[in-house]
Amino acid sequence: MYRYTDFDRHFVRARAAQFRDQLQRHLAGELADEDFRPLRLQNGWYVQRHAPMLRVAVPYGELSSRQLRMLARIAREHDHRDAGLPTERGGFGHFSTRQNLQFNWIPLTEAADVMDKLADVDLHGIQTSGNCIRNITTDALAGIAPDEDVDPRPYAEILRQWSTLHPEFAFLPRKFKIAIHGAREDRAAIGWHDIGLQLHRNGAGEVGFRVWVGGGMGRTPVIGTKLADFVPWQLILVYIEAIVRVYNLHGRRDNAYKARIKILVKAEGQRFVDQVNAEFDALQHGDALSGAHVIPQAEFDRVAACFTPPPVLAPGFETADDTDAPLAYRRWLGRNVHMHKVPGYRAVTLSLKRAGLPPGDVTAAQMDGAAALAERFSRGELRVTHDQNLLLPWVQAAELRALWQAAQAGGFATPNIGLLTDMIACPGGDLCALANARSLPIAAAIQERFDDLDRLHDIGDIDLHISGCMNSCGHHHSGHIGILGVDKDGSEWYQVTVGGSDGSTLSGAATPGKVIGPSFAADEVPDVVEALIELYRRERRRGEPFIETARRLGPQAFRAAADAVRRSTALAGAE
Amino acid sequence: MDFIPLHDPIWQRLDGEDGPRPHPAPRPHALLSLEQWHAVRESWPADLPVGMVLPNTADVATVAADLPRWSLVALQFPKWTDGRAYSQARLLRGRHGYTGELRAVGDVLADMLPLLQRTGFSSVQLRADQSIASARRALRFFTGHYQGDVTQPQPLFKRQAA
Repeated sequence: MYRYTDFDRHFVRARAAQFRDQLQRHLAGELADEDFRPLRLQNGWYVQRHAPMLRVAVPYGELSSRQLRMLARIAREHDHRDAGLPTERGGFGHFSTRQNLQFNWIPLTEAADVMDKLADVDLHGIQTSGNCIRNITTDALAGIAPDEDVDPRPYAEILRQWSTLHPEFAFLPRKFKIAIHGAREDRAAIGWHDIGLQLHRNGAGEVGFRVWVGGGMGRTPVIGTKLADFVPWQLILVYIEAIVRVYNLHGRRDNAYKARIKILVKAEGQRFVDQVNAEFDALQHGDALSGAHVIPQAEFDRVAACFTPPPVLAPGFETADDTDAPLAYRRWLGRNVHMHKVPGYRAVTLSLKRAGLPPGDVTAAQMDGAAALAERFSRGELRVTHDQNLLLPWVQAAELRALWQAAQAGGFATPNIGLLTDMIACPGGDLCALANARSLPIAAAIQERFDDLDRLHDIGDIDLHISGCMNSCGHHHSGHIGILGVDKDGSEWYQVTVGGSDGSTLSGAATPGKVIGPSFAADEVPDVVEALIELYRRERRRGEPFIETARRLGPQAFRAAADAVRRSTALAGAE
Repeated sequence: MDFIPLHDPIWQRLDGEDGPRPHPAPRPHALLSLEQWHAVRESWPADLPVGMVLPNTADVATVAADLPRWSLVALQFPKWTDGRAYSQARLLRGRHGYTGELRAVGDVLADMLPLLQRTGFSSVQLRADQSIASARRALRFFTGHYQGDVTQPQPLFKRQAA
């Protein structure tokens, strides 16, 4: 993991002190709500349905056990409420699709104290919200995936530092998300980001970036446009500065729904590309500040030295004989354990998708439990995955069985990674003030409907994504099955899409799913999902996952299957 | 950073009853719109200090040739969360070599001061309800930043290497 320097520590402390000053002025009535709002957002503080929500940045998803223990402590000491439904009670955190952690029940009056505690473990909420460059996300298997050409983490860290409190880009037209990976498979959904970066080597072995721009979800789903095939790594800050400057000056600010860079890229087409290239050129020639942000080899080396792999193990490390192992263990090996770049090691997903708990939620006790697993089995390091699980990146193969037993005891061993119940869901209308509908009851009903492991494994790989509104925090556009909460006449309805892709090998080129007819009532949704799954099971060819069958049959077949299980909406449609 | 009162005793806009006068007569410390400037730029005496108010939609590259003639450029924040003027300021200073006074006007909050300073502004007219004391304090929280800016062109990684 990146190791904070004195400068880095001083910096997050300064940020906490600045926020405390702003908060005090706000609480004293000197800083009005509408002026305080953008300031608190850029520190991760939303005001939500019941209380403020704090979004803590987990830079490119890397978390130490020490940091996770502090998050547990914050959950216990600050995130609490005594009444309400179990899903509405405090004392827990929620891992989001952007690899961050959210708390839902911290009183604003305690906000500054929480920021100080976060700073104690090199954490903060800088730019986790607001119209600025957000937390940079990456492949949860960064630095450990066998198919990786270039480890993206040092570049992600350099980008994190460059984008942190950038004075020119703090008030962009809209939020701005960058994702980066360096593998053959895209596990970071880069096509869906404002800027998507893929590290690769050219014929001469030099490292550079393929750059896409203008992807995004929301009301208008758009896949990014490729802008460059090879930007030398030394120039990536300059290149991104050019993109963001063109966006800052020319992006629309008259309509929040048309303010993302994707709209500018679509509207301007080649002119946008020309403007970026002209700005990139101007930055390198004839600019008093030119050259300053060309990354020196020494700086890359300094940062990269933080991301050293563990020592290679002595021969004979993979001794485990699992032929007599119980089915549950073999299933866990098959779903939750991933191959590793370093011989003798495995990556292991701790499933946060289990019956009775919302996807991505962890209680304070579970955070401590996951931290203990990381300390015992993974050099004290964890990753937050973009599908809302935790991952242990440095597990020795010989210790898998012991880890499995410990993970079972902690409730992290559900062998469902990549399966239907490993769904993505935003917090939805239970907690979020933006939501049009609730996500969690839908997720819970589907969890319950598909709780049989034999059936889950028979259905196989599938991405089910649920968002409570068009803001798409639950990535419904990229789900093989996507569910979107919509509000009509004050009640909750759910639009269902089929065939979306995040860009992974399984899912194919990134693309939004297709809507299969008018919205469904909440109580119809589990039946609809089941109908889509049953259609797939009837029609699938040998070895064909859901997404391929979905593409082969097309949305009409799925629409017919879904229509067949309508009840209230069938009656309404007949009127 | 200079704090300028909302009613600037020195720099004056040359407005008639219907907004900016189309052909203002020369006088010192006139603060002109671009339209006014284009109308008078050939006849404006070289020794009269003149300032310009630029809208945040202006492409500053198009006025680069006139910059040496201007003593003041005022950039506008119609809403404080509209960040276009930060880019304009950065370009005026870093690319077009503007060295005169660069002023932030409009919906300017105390909390914007660090950003304004780092993108090259040298003066501000704070919104009426803002406190100069808060604005000065806002400039003191950070002793350094990661990326280079107008006041400190070298990013941290170059400063450390030096």
